[in-house]
Amino acid sequence: MRILIVEDEPDLLASLTQALREEGYAVDTAANGDDGFFSAEGTDYDAIVLDVMLPGLDGWEILRRLRKTKSTPVLMLTARDQTRDRVKGLDTGADDYLVKPFDLEELFARLRAIIRRGVNKTTNVIEIGDLRVDTATRIVSLGNQPVELTAREYSLVEFLALHRGAVVTRTQLYEHLFDENESSLSNLLDVHVSNVRKKLGADLIVTRRGHGYCIE
Amino acid sequence: MIPQSIKWRLQLWYGLILVAVLVGFGVTAYQLERGRQMRRLDDELRHRIGILGVAMHRPPPGMEAGAPPFDPPRLDEPPDREPPFQDDHHFLDNRHLPASHLPPETARLFDATDTDGFFFRIESTFDHQEIAHSTNAPAFAAAAMRSIVRPPETQLPPGPHPLKPQIIGQNYFTIDVWPSGEAILVGCSLAPELAELRKTALNLTAIGGLILLVGLAGGWWLVGRALRPISEISSTAAKISAGDLSQRINAAETESELGQLAAVLNSTFARLDTAFAQQKQFAADAAHELRTPVSVILAQTQNALTRDRDAAAYRQTVEACQRAAQRMRRLIESLLELARFDAGQEVLQRRTLDLAQTAADCLEMVQPLATERRVKLLSQLQPVSVTGDAGRLAQVVTNLLTNAIQFNRPEGEVHLRLASQAGLAVLEISDTGHGIAPADLPHVFERFYRADTSRTGAGNSGLGLAICQAIVQAHGGTIEVSSVEKNGAKFIVRLPLAT
Repeated sequence: MRILIVEDEPDLLASLTQALREEGYAVDTAANGDDGFFSAEGTDYDAIVLDVMLPGLDGWEILRRLRKTKSTPVLMLTARDQTRDRVKGLDTGADDYLVKPFDLEELFARLRAIIRRGVNKTTNVIEIGDLRVDTATRIVSLGNQPVELTAREYSLVEFLALHRGAVVTRTQLYEHLFDENESSLSNLLDVHVSNVRKKLGADLIVTRRGHGYCIE
Repeated sequence: MIPQSIKWRLQLWYGLILVAVLVGFGVTAYQLERGRQMRRLDDELRHRIGILGVAMHRPPPGMEAGAPPFDPPRLDEPPDREPPFQDDHHFLDNRHLPASHLPPETARLFDATDTDGFFFRIESTFDHQEIAHSTNAPAFAAAAMRSIVRPPETQLPPGPHPLKPQIIGQNYFTIDVWPSGEAILVGCSLAPELAELRKTALNLTAIGGLILLVGLAGGWWLVGRALRPISEISSTAAKISAGDLSQRINAAETESELGQLAAVLNSTFARLDTAFAQQKQFAADAAHELRTPVSVILAQTQNALTRDRDAAAYRQTVEACQRAAQRMRRLIESLLELARFDAGQEVLQRRTLDLAQTAADCLEMVQPLATERRVKLLSQLQPVSVTGDAGRLAQVVTNLLTNAIQFNRPEGEVHLRLASQAGLAVLEISDTGHGIAPADLPHVFERFYRADTSRTGAGNSGLGLAICQAIVQAHGGTIEVSSVEKNGAKFIVRLPLAT
């Protein structure tokens, strides 16, 4: 899962970035509205955390412009808690709204929720045969036995599981599992796929030559 | 219990005044009527006394000098014939009644009542006791005589002495005493007059009552009409006190006193409305400004606590928290400072000082920042003495200089000019930055207003210019801003010169 955070307060941006990376997300950041809009439009993020008060383009304007081309789930982050501000946010196309100050746990839960809704899932648990992926606790179990996965392996399984039945291209996987600062070595993905197959069974992830990967 | 409403009290007072006026008027009218009646009676009585007196002392026609004295009827004896004076008409009008020289020993007393209702008694011997105790006089006449008899020793002056008419019982009479020893009493019953006066009193009471009723009804209507705007005002005020500050009184009658009151109240409500809105906005803004540092602290600490971290990571967290806390402290200090200015509690020292010296100190203070931002500071300072708080004025200058440096372009310039013009100290600070957009110009001194959202940041609370304005205004001065976009902004502070 790759997320963009647009926030101008450096200390808040730093802690959100670190916290979300530790949650297993690939995180890109922008410290002003113009950079934020540029990133949001140029990349298919799984979700965007967008502050309202920003230098340059403000949050509303980024959202308005973004909605012309993209339906990326957006979580607005704002210091205004009046009803009309929330209404404005939701009407402009925000998927959710979080008022500062907030708890990180709540931010995580809301992010999971908007990402889930983006792929038409209603619960945190995805079950595929014996395989069970809990996106809230980030635990993958096979026949009730938890399986130890690295963060990246988990992200791979989660992304494919969320898009179950669809073929996910390598480009898509690179885009959603790695942030802009990570070097995307071409065989890095293959290493992760191979490791997951070792842990969860060889037939879970099907390779479609020339297209990508798929969980059926 | 008397209702406490103004309407009832007004009505009560109005009613009382109306009753007092009507009673006064009625009593006066009654007294005038009574006096008129009495004077008429007085005149009549005097007239009759005069006639009787003249008649008694004048020989009847045909009985002039040398004629035998008139022999009056002996009233204490049954008259042997109709006494001529009982023919009142004859007696009074023809003036030939033989009552001129009534000898005391012959015509002592006679009483009569004429057809007009007047009675009279003529007593020829002035013996009070006798008069008083004569038995054949009408009871009222005797009583009248008795009541007015003078002590025997009273020396009567010569000539007729009609007494002031008196009332005894229902009778009204007067007595004329002649030195020759005759006394004439003329009187009449007051019954018809009293009846008439009673009727007058009844009429007056009835009319008065009617006027009172009409007056009270009219008063009630007038009071209601006059008070209707008040009830409108109070119902509007009630709505306003219930929280709807947008309500206004319909001040249609602006010329009337209540219309003026409504206008005054409306402007008060408008000011309250604005003040409340500002207060609400200020509180919301203040809360808003505090949210960001609080969310930094929350996010930093919660993130730090999710797992064990090394000392450097904890240090980073603590440093971020410290920055957030310092930001909150600055914000709170600014808010309190503004609140003190608002409440007029900020104590300013008032000393005569050279503003040029203060400005020079400020320039020195911001020089490191200017060097860091590669901004050139240029100044042109004339010594100008003003009265004020040196620390506060330095705060204004420093704040304006800091803004001018921060919002300047690299290699830009900041000009500081100080001169005295037209009795004012004029301090100008201009920069070569981006300037302020025309739409933002009227708002730059508003609290939390940031002309450019990029000016947000840890150091900028959005209160600096509001505080500058509060300080300048507390010194009796003005601060204004002008700007040509892309060509820098210019702040001008004007302060009264020291006297």
